[in-house]
Amino acid sequence: MKGLVPLFIGLFGTFTFSWVGLTVIPNLQIGALNPQMDEEGTDIYPMPQSGMVDRGRRIYAANGCIYCHSQQVRPDYASADIDRKWGQRRSGPRDYVFDRPVQLGKERMGPDLANVGKRGGAEGEKSPAPSGSPAQSPAPGGQPAAANPSPAGAASSQPASSPQPAGAAASPSPAAAASPNPSGEPAMYSEAWHHKHLYAPRSMNPDTRDSNMPAYQFLYQTRRINGDQSADALQLTGADAPPVGWEVVPTYDAKCLVAYLMSRDQSHPLKEVKGGAAPAASPAASPAPGAAAASPATQPPKK
Amino acid sequence: MTPAADIPLKQPAVSATAGEAEQYERALIDASTRVPVLMFYASAMVWLLIGTLLAGFVSFKLHSPDWFSDVSFLTWGRLRPVHMNIMVYGWASMAGMGTAIWLMARLCRTTLRHPLLLVTGAWFWNIGVAIGITGILMGYSTGYQWLEFPPYAALILLLAYALIISWAVLMFRFRRGEQIYITQWYLLGAFLWFPWLYAAAQAMLFVVPVQGVMQAAVGWWYSNNLMFLWFGAIALGTAYYMIPKVIGRPVYSYHLATIGFWTYALFSSWTGMQRLVDGPFPAWMITASIAATILTMIPVATVGLNHHMTMQGYFPVMRYSPTLRFTVFGAMSYTVFSIVGLLISLRSTARYFHFSEASVAYSHLGLYAFFTMIMFGSMYYIVPRLVGREWRYATLIKLHFWASAYGIGLMSLMLLAGGLAQGASQNDPSLPFIESVQSALPYLRGRTLAALLLTASHFIFAYHFGLMLFGLGRTSTVPTFLNPVEAEGSEAHL
Repeated sequence: MKGLVPLFIGLFGTFTFSWVGLTVIPNLQIGALNPQMDEEGTDIYPMPQSGMVDRGRRIYAANGCIYCHSQQVRPDYASADIDRKWGQRRSGPRDYVFDRPVQLGKERMGPDLANVGKRGGAEGEKSPAPSGSPAQSPAPGGQPAAANPSPAGAASSQPASSPQPAGAAASPSPAAAASPNPSGEPAMYSEAWHHKHLYAPRSMNPDTRDSNMPAYQFLYQTRRINGDQSADALQLTGADAPPVGWEVVPTYDAKCLVAYLMSRDQSHPLKEVKGGAAPAASPAASPAPGAAAASPATQPPKK
Repeated sequence: MTPAADIPLKQPAVSATAGEAEQYERALIDASTRVPVLMFYASAMVWLLIGTLLAGFVSFKLHSPDWFSDVSFLTWGRLRPVHMNIMVYGWASMAGMGTAIWLMARLCRTTLRHPLLLVTGAWFWNIGVAIGITGILMGYSTGYQWLEFPPYAALILLLAYALIISWAVLMFRFRRGEQIYITQWYLLGAFLWFPWLYAAAQAMLFVVPVQGVMQAAVGWWYSNNLMFLWFGAIALGTAYYMIPKVIGRPVYSYHLATIGFWTYALFSSWTGMQRLVDGPFPAWMITASIAATILTMIPVATVGLNHHMTMQGYFPVMRYSPTLRFTVFGAMSYTVFSIVGLLISLRSTARYFHFSEASVAYSHLGLYAFFTMIMFGSMYYIVPRLVGREWRYATLIKLHFWASAYGIGLMSLMLLAGGLAQGASQNDPSLPFIESVQSALPYLRGRTLAALLLTASHFIFAYHFGLMLFGLGRTSTVPTFLNPVEAEGSEAHL
């Protein structure tokens, strides 16, 4: 090859071709989407997120959650994502318009999180507590679960999937955190569940001993109990429990991270995506704790 | 086939025809590159050792996750990007730049002007990498793959790079000879593509951020093109120099090389989006990248054929020359890397590999089996010419080669097989999700074993390199051969 000029033009041309083709043109197509709304201008989706959620997203990025968790539901013809109840429809570009950094993910060493907020809190709130639930709301500042005997017969007859009281998932309230149930779990994917899971990923019920998720103990603070136990203290048992007289409480960062997880919800239908039109039509299809208890066989795989 | 007895003795191969003046000129050029190239190499070696230790740690923590879970900067999700970025920007980029500088000086047949510029650039680059990894460890990772460095570290890297590139422009300005050799196309391409890529990605992610999923598209576009247009181009350029040089024979076909180069630039730069298969994107983006991945078989075939035909009849030289052994291993890995890339990209097969460890195998095949092995080969060639000593122990070179070759071979196999097991179970909704993790775990333990092999190989090489750096190599006019050259006159089959 002779001459620098044709070489330079070729190098620049191939680069520009790829840059325009793979980033500029797609950006014209899907780079300036608006939230959708109905004719009256209500029912806006997606909505901008609060400050805590935004900070939680940065904590999610900073601690590399993205290397093991994706946040995208693929269509049913190409994957088992919808069969796994990770979502009711495939994800569309519009689901992410407010996400920065966007966390689509590249690998699944852990389950997909695109709808983890929907799978937990929202459903827990909606589904009524089955009658005869052994779990009672204790007084605020209740004792650690292990130390608190509960209606033993009822609890042990439904060990793993004991349903939780309504509202248990809504917030890390004492009611959720200190449910005096020896089977010991906050409702799956509730805020209290996330905190316990982040602190001690291998302690959950149903059995998570095989999980290889790192523990994020540095997001939690172990401190001496001063007077009453804090409302948001984690209910830990066994080897993970702090010494008597101490408690483990989430830091602000941990609360932001969980707020971010709880905000992950793509259940709202998107006009351009088929299949998600009726998210509320079949509440039983989503892994609400109540539904799971009713028919353990259909309980989604333990994540 | 009888070993080619006289071939290795021809180093540098063309010296048979080169006049004394030419020899003298080469020595002058080599001497002028000594300080900057050694600076790049030594920094790269330090990063390689740190990155290797981190790799072992990361690999181990993946199947034994309860280590140090109360220390924020030792959490897996921070150490993993630190490991990747050290390997990408610390080791691979610095080693690549070192080799590229030396090759450019040789091929432009001009002494290196203003070596201080390069040394300063190397210092700033090191500082940029150090600040970047500190940022990640402190929890300021940006969350974009291979762009985790906080933007201020990226700015330092770009400034450092500006110093380095300005030198390359000077070099071309003073070059002698009309013809621009194949290696120079690749190197010039790499030197220009990298800053465009890096600046474009930084601009679209941090300066004028694009919306939503477009960030992921820009991220994959960047990291994929970094692999091909920066590392791949340097590695192929180096192979085009080293193979003909060591065996003392011109490249088989200039025409094939031209086709290979332009199809490489055109098609491989369009791949990347296949990593987002079935994601929230217009299907044409993904299909375009899959088509481009299929088309990259054209440069793979032409480049592979060209190297093979050049080597034809000279393969026995690999018995002696460390450079050739490493370089040919790397050049062959380019083919393997591309075929694996195709395999995990097609829609029908991607569903068994997507979101699995197979993507880790793919990046290691590219960055290690292909790029790093060629860099090792070039360092075995270049370092003796810079320090005026020969490598001290043939045994250490052999150990280095076999530990690296078996290490990366084992790692790729483990991750591909583990990825397939993991992806297939993910795809079967009747299995609980944790099964897919469980099915990959034995392979991940095997991968830790491979990491131990690679760690051994890198420490052996670093020790050997250190001996050379401190002037403890052999003083000899004959290069270090891997095996004793057999008796003169045993008829070579050339």
